[in-house]
Amino acid sequence: MRINRVSALLAALLFTLLLGGCSSSGEYSRQHTVALVAKSTQTEFWLSVFAGAEAAAAEYNMKLSIIGPETEEDYETQNLMVAQAVEDGAEAIVFSAIDYENNASAIDQAAKAGVKIVAIDSGVASQMVCTYIGTDNYAAGEMAAQAALDRVEGKLKVGVVNYDISSANGQQRQQGALDVLEESGRAEIVSVINTLADAEPARDDTVEMLNLFPEINVLLAFNEPTSVGAAQAVEELGLSDTVFLVGFDSNVETVDGLQEGSVDALIVQNPYAMGYLGVESAYRLLTGQDAGMERVVDTSTQTVDRDNLFTMDSQKVLFAFNSG
Amino acid sequence: MKDGVSRTGLRITTILVSMVVGVVAVILCCCIILFLNRYRSAMVQSARTSTAQAVSQVSNTVGSYLQGMNQAMSMVEWSLLESDEDRDRMLTAFLIFRPDVVAVTGYSHSGELMDCWCLDREPRENIYRNLSFDLERARSTGSSYMTAPHVESIFEGYYPWVVTMTAPLEQGNSMAWVSLDLSFSSISSYINNVSIGQRGYCFLMDGEGGIVYHPQQQLLYAGLKTENSAALAALEDGSYADDTVIYAVTSVPDSDWRVVGVSYVDELVNRNVSDMIRLTILLGAAVLLAALLTSWLLSRLLAQPLRALAEAMGSFERDADHFTYRPVGGTREVQELSGSFRHMVLRIQQLMSTVREEEINLRKTELKALQAQINPHFLYNTLDSIAWMCEQGRNADAVKMVHALARLFRISISKGHELIPISKEIQHAESYLQIQKYRYKNQFTYEFDVDPACLDYYCNKITLQPIIENAINHGLDLLVEEGRITVQVRQDGEDIVFTVRDNGVGMSRELIESILEQGPKDRTGIGIRNVNDRLQIYFGKQYGLHITSEPDVGTCVEIRMPKIQEGEYEDK
Repeated sequence: MRINRVSALLAALLFTLLLGGCSSSGEYSRQHTVALVAKSTQTEFWLSVFAGAEAAAAEYNMKLSIIGPETEEDYETQNLMVAQAVEDGAEAIVFSAIDYENNASAIDQAAKAGVKIVAIDSGVASQMVCTYIGTDNYAAGEMAAQAALDRVEGKLKVGVVNYDISSANGQQRQQGALDVLEESGRAEIVSVINTLADAEPARDDTVEMLNLFPEINVLLAFNEPTSVGAAQAVEELGLSDTVFLVGFDSNVETVDGLQEGSVDALIVQNPYAMGYLGVESAYRLLTGQDAGMERVVDTSTQTVDRDNLFTMDSQKVLFAFNSG
Repeated sequence: MKDGVSRTGLRITTILVSMVVGVVAVILCCCIILFLNRYRSAMVQSARTSTAQAVSQVSNTVGSYLQGMNQAMSMVEWSLLESDEDRDRMLTAFLIFRPDVVAVTGYSHSGELMDCWCLDREPRENIYRNLSFDLERARSTGSSYMTAPHVESIFEGYYPWVVTMTAPLEQGNSMAWVSLDLSFSSISSYINNVSIGQRGYCFLMDGEGGIVYHPQQQLLYAGLKTENSAALAALEDGSYADDTVIYAVTSVPDSDWRVVGVSYVDELVNRNVSDMIRLTILLGAAVLLAALLTSWLLSRLLAQPLRALAEAMGSFERDADHFTYRPVGGTREVQELSGSFRHMVLRIQQLMSTVREEEINLRKTELKALQAQINPHFLYNTLDSIAWMCEQGRNADAVKMVHALARLFRISISKGHELIPISKEIQHAESYLQIQKYRYKNQFTYEFDVDPACLDYYCNKITLQPIIENAINHGLDLLVEEGRITVQVRQDGEDIVFTVRDNGVGMSRELIESILEQGPKDRTGIGIRNVNDRLQIYFGKQYGLHITSEPDVGTCVEIRMPKIQEGEYEDK
């Protein structure tokens, strides 16, 4: 009786020890899978986003797949990609919506399947988005308008070169810019075009607009391809001195244009941070470290013109550091 | 246990196990704490050493890279003295062999770009701003120097990050300075591959703490990470550890660049330490368990035989007569104790049987003495009665009396045997009753009711006579009407029951008790108590006398004894 009790005690002790040993050694973190569904895979902006995303994936030991449609208007392909990513076992999707409305249902479905959604760069009309990381687009639009107002004297005849009208960020930027211009009282919106987010059609459409409205002295282009297209148009028409072009983002061509005069100011976002923070947020969501995570994270935006083009700060935001 | 002594002492097992385990636990704790302390400091030291080693390796490599660059610079300087054609050929060859040199540029005394050699690229016609050359710095330095990282800005559509090495040219040359723009491809290959632990890294900074190359340069540029390099720049070469990070700083030889190694205490030290803590705790637990087991076994080894001995003593205490000693195994001390106990048991049992024998002998002697005492008195009375019968001429009655007296004495003696057949005892009682009846002049009658099956069993001699005597003396003597004595012998299972019943005056409870207590001093001779004692000594406590009496109704004495065959109990 007594012996039984003691041996039972010993057995219990041994068992708990073994259990403790097992539970402490059996803790290995699995590699999480994340898909980044971009708007495009071509532009320097997106390449920089990808570089940031890859850096974060390497740092947090995650499996990252990067996909995006051929053109920045193809929301249907994006929806298919989201569905495919879910099917392929992605646990989180870092997403930039081409179409604010039409991408929503695909994202909702993915979220229903248990996938965490992080929006970067451009939002989507879904309640399932855990966090948005990107530029405060309205403020960026304001900055673009302000850059023109600060540097152009007299009356501003403004032409707007925007991309897909259903894209949330483009519309927000435009709204911010138009509000500031209207408030200034010395600006007139001459024309607003929505072109394709590709340099060539953007250039052609801009040339057409400039030909149609030769009084335009300020051009606003709201993303990288439209900026490149607009710069090419200004250069082509020889209007570098008369048209003040405010572009978005850093591209070799627009930086060249800034030095040569076709471009006068660039609103530079922080795509690397978007990619990095997007994947990092996905990691935090997947590992349950999302307490206190903000719904909206504003990555920095900076205005670069000819004067501050080669300051250290501008160099850092304009030119990706590529050690290779 | 029996006498209700409360046992407050602890068991050997409890004491031994708790002491051994306690001592082992304390020693283990001390050892583990001491060891882990030493282990942690050793781990911190080794982490610092390995960080410093990694850093000094990087600084050596970067140093030799810079040395190589200086030599390359000398070669460039030397080639600039050649004719234009030779110079172009040599510099082109140089650029092919040194892919990390983005461009070689030459500057006039006024700082204008005079010539540029670069594979596949031509500089802009209007250079907006040349970040590779700073005239003021070149003038004020006077010797060769390195710039901070910057973007190569003299080309169209090509903006790689570079550092520029600028050297003044000797007098007599058409150019005053020459610059080499170096991309980070070589430096990055030295620095990116350095790993200190899993997350540790190295970076390169200049004398003022400006980052020259960092494996996560873009993170720094994107504002996602900061490096407190200004504070590090103020430090001497060496390694510094705080709670979370270990820094090692080493200067690159012949340069103002410094290599900083960053490693994480958490990764290099804490993880190992926590592994070690887990291991030592497991080990400690195993040792404790072993201590627990051994002490438990040891105490069992000691306590079990002691407990067995105690139990043996307990059972001896309860029933000394029927206790049989069984040796208890165990350690030598316990065996010695057990041996002593055996001696004691044997001795006590021996003493007990001696005492019992002596008591029986005493009773026998007493009986014999009493027999010797009563006989003359009884004999005198009886002979007196006989003489009186003879005087009256009642010869037949006198003869009967003499016969009865003779039989009484013969059976009383019975050749000295204590046990006699029941038939003889009945004759003895009958003879006694005959004699007494004559003496009491037929004041009472008597009757025998004997189960014939009982006659051959044995009983103690002179068992009935004292009872009958008592019945006559205390019951019938005072009776006015005719008395009556009935003697009954019956079997009752394995026992035989004698019953002597009278219809006398009866006895009070006090009288019964005093009769049973009466010693042999009573002059009536062998007392009732003597009968009772003898029966109980011979056959045990469950046998003996049982008296029930009711005033004016009579007394009944029941004598119970076992069925005894001839020869049994005779040796007692």
